[in-house]
Amino acid sequence: MSTYWKDYFRRNGMALGLFVLLAVMVWMLVMIILPQLYMLDFSFRTNVPPPQWGTDTHTYTLEHYRYLLYGNVNATESFNYLDLGVFGRTIIAAVFVTFIDLCLCYPVAYYLAHVAKGGWGRLMVMSLIVPFWVNELLRAFAFKVMFGTGGVINDALMWLGILDQPYDFIRENVALYSGLSYAYILLMIFPIYNAVESLDRNQIEAARDMGAPWWRIHWRVVIPHAKPGITSGSTMVFMLTAGALAAPQILGGPSSLWFTQLVYKWFNNSANWARGSAYALVLLVACIVFVLLMMRIFKVKLGEIAR
Amino acid sequence: MSADVKLEDVWIRFGSFEAAKDVNIHIQEGEFFSFLGPSGCGKTTLLRAVSGFLEPSEGKVLIGGQDMAGIGPNKRPTALIFQNLALFPLMKVWENIAFPLEVRGVGKAERRKRADELLELIALPDQGDKMVNELSGGQKQRVAIARALAAEPDVLLLDEPLSALDLKLRQHMRTELRAIQQRVGITFIYITHDQGEALTMSDHVAVMSQGVIEQVADGNTIYDSPQTAFVASFVGENNHFQGKVTAADGDMVTVETPSGVLRGRNIERDGKPQLAAGDQALVFIRPESLRFVDGEKKRDNVLEATVERQEFEGNFWQVFLQVKDCPRVVSLSMVNDGSSVGHDVGAQVKIGCDAAHAVALPVGQMAAE
Amino acid sequence: MTSDRIRKFFVLFFVCGFFLYLFGPLIIMGLTAFNSSAFPRVAPWECFTVEWFDVLSNDTRLLTGLRNSFLIGFGVVLFAVPLGLAGALMLTQVRERVRPWYYTIVISPILVPGVVLGISTLLFWDRIGVMFGASRDSLFYNGFFLTIIGQSTFIAAYTMLVFISRLQRFDSAQEEAALDLGATHVQTFRKILLPFLKPAIASAAVLAFLASFENYNTTVFTAISTSTLTTVLASKVRYGIDPSISALAVSIVVLTVLGAAIHEVFKRREEAEARQAGLVAAGVMERKSTQKQWFLEPALIMILLVFIAGLGTAFFAGTMGVEECKVAVREQKRIETQKRIEELQQRQQAERAAQQAAEEARRVERSQRTGTENFNSIFSSDNLQPQAGDTAPATPQSERAGTENFNSIFDTQNLQQQSGQQEEAPARTGTENFNSIFDTQNLQQQSGQSEGQSGGQSGQ
Repeated sequence: MSTYWKDYFRRNGMALGLFVLLAVMVWMLVMIILPQLYMLDFSFRTNVPPPQWGTDTHTYTLEHYRYLLYGNVNATESFNYLDLGVFGRTIIAAVFVTFIDLCLCYPVAYYLAHVAKGGWGRLMVMSLIVPFWVNELLRAFAFKVMFGTGGVINDALMWLGILDQPYDFIRENVALYSGLSYAYILLMIFPIYNAVESLDRNQIEAARDMGAPWWRIHWRVVIPHAKPGITSGSTMVFMLTAGALAAPQILGGPSSLWFTQLVYKWFNNSANWARGSAYALVLLVACIVFVLLMMRIFKVKLGEIAR
Repeated sequence: MSADVKLEDVWIRFGSFEAAKDVNIHIQEGEFFSFLGPSGCGKTTLLRAVSGFLEPSEGKVLIGGQDMAGIGPNKRPTALIFQNLALFPLMKVWENIAFPLEVRGVGKAERRKRADELLELIALPDQGDKMVNELSGGQKQRVAIARALAAEPDVLLLDEPLSALDLKLRQHMRTELRAIQQRVGITFIYITHDQGEALTMSDHVAVMSQGVIEQVADGNTIYDSPQTAFVASFVGENNHFQGKVTAADGDMVTVETPSGVLRGRNIERDGKPQLAAGDQALVFIRPESLRFVDGEKKRDNVLEATVERQEFEGNFWQVFLQVKDCPRVVSLSMVNDGSSVGHDVGAQVKIGCDAAHAVALPVGQMAAE
Repeated sequence: MTSDRIRKFFVLFFVCGFFLYLFGPLIIMGLTAFNSSAFPRVAPWECFTVEWFDVLSNDTRLLTGLRNSFLIGFGVVLFAVPLGLAGALMLTQVRERVRPWYYTIVISPILVPGVVLGISTLLFWDRIGVMFGASRDSLFYNGFFLTIIGQSTFIAAYTMLVFISRLQRFDSAQEEAALDLGATHVQTFRKILLPFLKPAIASAAVLAFLASFENYNTTVFTAISTSTLTTVLASKVRYGIDPSISALAVSIVVLTVLGAAIHEVFKRREEAEARQAGLVAAGVMERKSTQKQWFLEPALIMILLVFIAGLGTAFFAGTMGVEECKVAVREQKRIETQKRIEELQQRQQAERAAQQAAEEARRVERSQRTGTENFNSIFSSDNLQPQAGDTAPATPQSERAGTENFNSIFDTQNLQQQSGQQEEAPARTGTENFNSIFDTQNLQQQSGQSEGQSGGQSGQ
């Protein structure tokens, strides 16, 4: 160990070596590891007012996790169907949104990478960045404008005679799901685009030469090559969708909640930080499980996902 | 200013891997010294120990008689020319050259003046304001040398600096490097896997294999009197025959091989002959030493062979032969002086050489083909 | 080959659809910023106006949030860029065996939900504050500080990725060469590595700033009482919307497109120069000016288009006479609305008669209420509250609410609250009572009061 550090300081010099070491330590410990550990600890403690934190009354308890599972102590139902339902719906909807995004993005990514060439192709790729830098809230707002009862979609549908009465897209969660699909779609398209673009065009030509139909070319040549990109995009989209707060707050129907909204509620409306932490941790664990699952199924490394 | 470099009992280990094993070398001041060996033999590691990028695990590095332990690369009187040159692409040519002066706090006008002088020295005047990327490979090479010289080192270290150049340029740069070395008069330590470079430029050559210094000598000696099987097989082309020493007399030995009895020189190492009767030995005979035996002149070593194929190389013929009871193809080269005639493929011939041109060495590790 | 052609057509159609999906919402939102209608909508188009930009520039809450977001953004740049740089430099140095672990830890903030990061930061610093016995107005409870820390946790990972990809192209022999030539480590860093990383530092800083600027999930927890652009926006969008938000979006999009386009042009030029330098060195071609093609760049075309559009907008705004148009629209709507209300009154009377006959008992029970209750109970008008209070048009509330009630029954695309209906005031008071009865508080909060003033149609 000591030779390693001797070597380290020989390579970097004292001042720079210390700076790098210190910065990395602060980032890793003070900003990443310790806060997460403290939140873990906190979620297992009773909900007492802040002045009593760390005192004897601030004891360990499983209450918050029990609550998520079984609900109030004197609840009549055997499980906390409300919160568990929200959790389940969030995860399933996030998977659904991820899948939709994947189906939308793959053809477009392929098109941009291998069909559209030259200036306009480049412009198209570049223009993808524009919606990405429009605030998440504003993107949700745009959907609210579109899907409102007096919005463009309803107007168009009624003009076309498909509807004779405005349809409440917000209440039916149509707006929410399309808004969520929209919100993170670029995190799907860029990794796939990058992966597909690196595919040697000759491979496709060779496959075509050998008489493979177009779908087989994609299934056997393009998709395997784009696998890291697909995995990366899917993971990012899932994570961000499951952890989204703005879009559900703005586009969510009155009867449907997103799991992050429950976390938000425990923190802001109910002032039960411990329970909020417990819920947040459940979300975190669900996300970690999803990443591990993706890594296992698609046999990719973490480094290929987060790029 | 020039300084000598001494490596005393140097060992360099990375974990369990030994990159340099018990290296002892004394490089005289002002000489052109080369380390020659295949890639991965540890020569670059030794160079890095001299320049200060790593400390030997054991032993000492002395430059100008001073122990370098604990002294970083920026404090040593050495300058290194990297394999890829490591010119700074974001700086102009003259800024590159003046960099060692810049870090010492020399004023800009003075730096520029010195850079122009060095550009003159490397025959690139008026190129100072170009960017590095606008130069050709050979020009970059010379800029790298000028930059290293601007640091006014006592010892200049060169890590295969010519390997990226094409053949013509490489040969030209050899002469140029040698000329520059003689002009500035400082010690050059040169690392290469190209024996042509090592033999043409150097005062002394150290041949390395697997972290061990096999032989240190001038180019002639290395070629004519290799001390180990590795040196004999690594430097230049060589045919070898394995057998048993039947007699050792004076500086000659007789070796009985399946192909016939061969006599050769018993090369000394550390002042002692290496072979005695009963030892297993390898007899090395260079292709240009072998001749067709036509009965007129008597040869010490004669072998029976069949011509397998021959290649015309312009200035010489390369003949490949199957020697009786020898598992390897033996090659023979003849200068194309107009009198030599090709032999038919499949012809039965006799080949041979004088004992003075055969070298007998103990069996040891050979260079990879 | 016709099937091939059909497929190609289909793919093109799909791609066009995708881009429509991508830009459609933004374009529509952009258009709503210029419509004088008080609710963000494109159809019916009333009058072209830039008044929402005025509203925007007078919204002090938003401006405060904007200022705070700028401050936080700069803080994050100053904090996250060095952290990311250190993280990337460390990655090149840690031992082979430790590297995957190290990488997992420092990259994990990207994959952790922003909500979780916000919460853990908030809790942790609160704890630290308690440990040091710090007061409530100290650093540990400061929204700026916590937000900068919380955001930097994951933004540093972004910047680290930028640095890693740049460092991969760095020839470390250059550092060694500098050291070997007598430079100190600090000199080497300053004169060799830093100049090489300059473009990466710039793009990491831009990335960090933008990521901070638009972050909501983490900020909403760490900001505490500090308002940032996103938290202000969120509360605005949730509790009523008006076109000044569209105006804000337009401003942001224009700035982003301009920034991105300029950045792109510079990058292209630099790349082209580097490429050409390489070719010149190889003796392939003579050095010539790169000026020739770059004004044909699509990026530049885009800048020009945006610029022309901006000029055109200003021109029309100046010439069209917004006020006259507004007066005309208002007058027309007043007439239309009046017509409808007359119709309504007739129908109401008819229904009232029918009801009186059918439900004798009920009528007696609630004798003082008017028949409008039927409509309210059938069409749940969950959000008739005048929520857009702060940016609402000049019309008095009493006038507006009155028509809103009827909106819930009729298709009132053109039925705007500005239409100035004085005579319906009695009807309004009647219905507002019912609002308070039938509207549950919950429903209002969660639905985000989405439909705004015309939202009464949402009943099913």
